[in-house]
Amino acid sequence: MNQNQTQAIPVNDPFGQATTGKLGMWLFIIVDGLSFTGLLIAGIALRAASPEIWPVAGELLNIPLTAFNTFLLICTSFTMVMALNCVQKGDQTGLKKFLGLTMAGGVVFLGIQVYEYSHFIMVDFLPSTSIYAAIFYVTTCFHGLHVLSGVIYIACILRMAGLNAYSADNWDHVEILGLFWHFVDLVWILVFTVIYLI
Amino acid sequence: MDDHKSIYLKNAIWLAILTFLEVGIAYIEISRSGQVVLLLAFAATKMMLVAMIYMHLRHETKVLKRILFVPIPAGILYTVALMYDLPFRWVM
Repeated sequence: MNQNQTQAIPVNDPFGQATTGKLGMWLFIIVDGLSFTGLLIAGIALRAASPEIWPVAGELLNIPLTAFNTFLLICTSFTMVMALNCVQKGDQTGLKKFLGLTMAGGVVFLGIQVYEYSHFIMVDFLPSTSIYAAIFYVTTCFHGLHVLSGVIYIACILRMAGLNAYSADNWDHVEILGLFWHFVDLVWILVFTVIYLI
Repeated sequence: MDDHKSIYLKNAIWLAILTFLEVGIAYIEISRSGQVVLLLAFAATKMMLVAMIYMHLRHETKVLKRILFVPIPAGILYTVALMYDLPFRWVM
């Protein structure tokens, strides 16, 4: 389907030329963002209620490793936006290359998170250990599930790209995927700051 | 390198620099409140960079931008209200 043939809202609409799919993803992002906000606010409130049980930043969590993971996610945001840039120019090879790199980055991010969890389990830092541990696991697992969903989503779009489903006139799906992936990066920025650094 | 690529790459570099500075702030000896304010300011800046440049929010209409930004003050208001409520309800 041609990009111009997708269900675009009329140009004089308050949402401009955004397609219904794109608006749907923005709506999902708002709702999902509020879910993360709820988790982070719960963590902040519990911490404020009992600050003495909260460990100092870096005392328990591996900040350098997680900072590397944050850097990795930033890099995948760059590769994702480059994938969109390529398809908008009709560069099929670039689209597949950058989508593949983004997916690989997501898999490495998840691998590092699993490694971090396995280390914590070995030192008996479990979700039931303390309220801090519970907040840590719930928030990071919830985000990790988003990364996993993103990786699966990218794999689906990559498969479609392999079938040459996208072109310079039809890149709506790639843009919508990009919005989701950048949202996952955006949320991690806040999770990293609130859970790991503060 | 075309304009878009250059902007995206510069944005990634800025995000990496801000992340590096954030980690540095977490370790330096400054007042706790100062540290929290700085870390939140850096996080907000990074989030804005991702939203405006990578998510192309700067090219969206004002209506869409408003819809997206409305939940943010609502979240802050909820947090502040919860903090005021803490001494009365959250005895642990």
